[in-house]
Amino acid sequence: MNIDKALQKVISKYMTLEDALPTKMPEYVNSFGYFFGTATLSSLAVIFISGIILVFFGPDWWHFTKVGAFVNAVHFWSVEVFYVAITLHFTFKFFKAAWRDGRQRTWMNGWAIYAITIFSGISGTLLQANWDAQWNSQQGKDAFAAIGLSWMNWLNYTTVLTLHVVFFAALIVLLVAAHLTFVRSESPVRPIVNEGKDENEK
Amino acid sequence: MSITSDKNLRGIPMKPYDMVREGLIVFSTIAIIVLILAAFWGFPGKNYWPLTIKEVATKAPIAFLNRTVTYFDGTSGLQTYGPPYTHDNANAQRIGPFCPACWVGVMFPLNAKVDLVMQPLQQIADLNPAVATALKTYQQASAKQQMAWSQAYTAALGKAKVQNGQVILPNGDYGPVQVLMDGMLKFARAGLLEAALTVNTNPKLAPYNTDYTRAFLYLGGNIMNTVANHFDEPGGNWGMSHMAGPYPAAWWLWPYTLLYQIPAIGNLPNADLVAFLIFAAMLGTLIFLPFIPGLNRIPYKIPVYKVIWRDWYAKYPSGDPSKPATK
Repeated sequence: MNIDKALQKVISKYMTLEDALPTKMPEYVNSFGYFFGTATLSSLAVIFISGIILVFFGPDWWHFTKVGAFVNAVHFWSVEVFYVAITLHFTFKFFKAAWRDGRQRTWMNGWAIYAITIFSGISGTLLQANWDAQWNSQQGKDAFAAIGLSWMNWLNYTTVLTLHVVFFAALIVLLVAAHLTFVRSESPVRPIVNEGKDENEK
Repeated sequence: MSITSDKNLRGIPMKPYDMVREGLIVFSTIAIIVLILAAFWGFPGKNYWPLTIKEVATKAPIAFLNRTVTYFDGTSGLQTYGPPYTHDNANAQRIGPFCPACWVGVMFPLNAKVDLVMQPLQQIADLNPAVATALKTYQQASAKQQMAWSQAYTAALGKAKVQNGQVILPNGDYGPVQVLMDGMLKFARAGLLEAALTVNTNPKLAPYNTDYTRAFLYLGGNIMNTVANHFDEPGGNWGMSHMAGPYPAAWWLWPYTLLYQIPAIGNLPNADLVAFLIFAAMLGTLIFLPFIPGLNRIPYKIPVYKVIWRDWYAKYPSGDPSKPATK
């Protein structure tokens, strides 16, 4: 069996160039309900860009320079905007029942991303090297011990830094890539027909 | 298009589109919004510096000595913490037999007396002959005698006064303990204790020590709680979702931190475990929502979708594109 050939077959079946870079959309894609996913992705991009800059200069840089303080503020605000966007995104997807026609995978993967961002956000808070970070790590150690997560040493700054900038970041990138692949491969969900009366038989 | 899209979009009218252009427009808009917020508000929290041991030893020497003597005589919470630090599971949070902390076990063994006090004292003894003599006297005494000195010293701390930065104790038999504790206080005031605690974690790795766990743990308990109360930040005050200053930080954690505001949960000895399990159940419900009968029907009952797709329903009232509206 030729593996390349097999992969070609799968990709051309589930992700054509027209799926990856669409030049046309169904007519019903005409609403604010389709905007917040893109907004979530955009704010995530700003989080990553500002985060990468912070990584280069080290986690204490923002305490001592004006530029560092500004990049840190951009990182902070992009996270705030991200959560506003993702909240609106899943609210709209819920009211569209967007898991219809076999799209449950996308919905579940989205919530997995949300769960990981929570841990990513906590680890980011602990990196601030200020009183808040110190207090939260002190409080957090009890919670992490209680839920059996103390093996990720949340009081070891280097571990937390690595978790935040590598592990959680990579998980988020992977799952977001999967999320976008599902969405593009399956097309946007169609409007509800007959007020959903036939939905549960499917 | 893919076979899934072809199946899903059969009979659906299409319109021209440019995804990358739309993405760039949205990204630029969001980036500009974030830059404006950052330029205008900066980092909105009050950025207090971390609490250093030097600061505590200088401004609140009695609090520092109280904390240090609890490690020294084994009465601190850290000595009976349980996993991941000590082998005694009595204080591990559990619900009946469900005890994730016990299953993970002692990942980071910590002997608070040795790791937080005796090791630094050995180093102080190298610098200060009086401390070296006192340390020898202490180590040669019986355990009973050691405890008697510590208890007398702890009781005296309750009546101690601070004059010109000096801690004045009433007269009593503290054996060598007073000299040892003063040695710790001077060392802390010199700003050396965090560094010693960190290096002592793995002395052979000296230039590569990156684990600050011991230094973080040292001020835990009463000292940090006092400071947190001062800033309105104890757990009963919305915990992680509340940062120093008037702003919320991680407001998306409200469903979780709310649980701690309920006395029936927040006051439990295993509050962290209970709150997390409730929060995990909330998240689990959301993850599996498409499969939960009743909940997965809510979108049909609350017809927000009719507003979202109003243009479509104006054309095709049933939602089915093969049945256009009759004019």
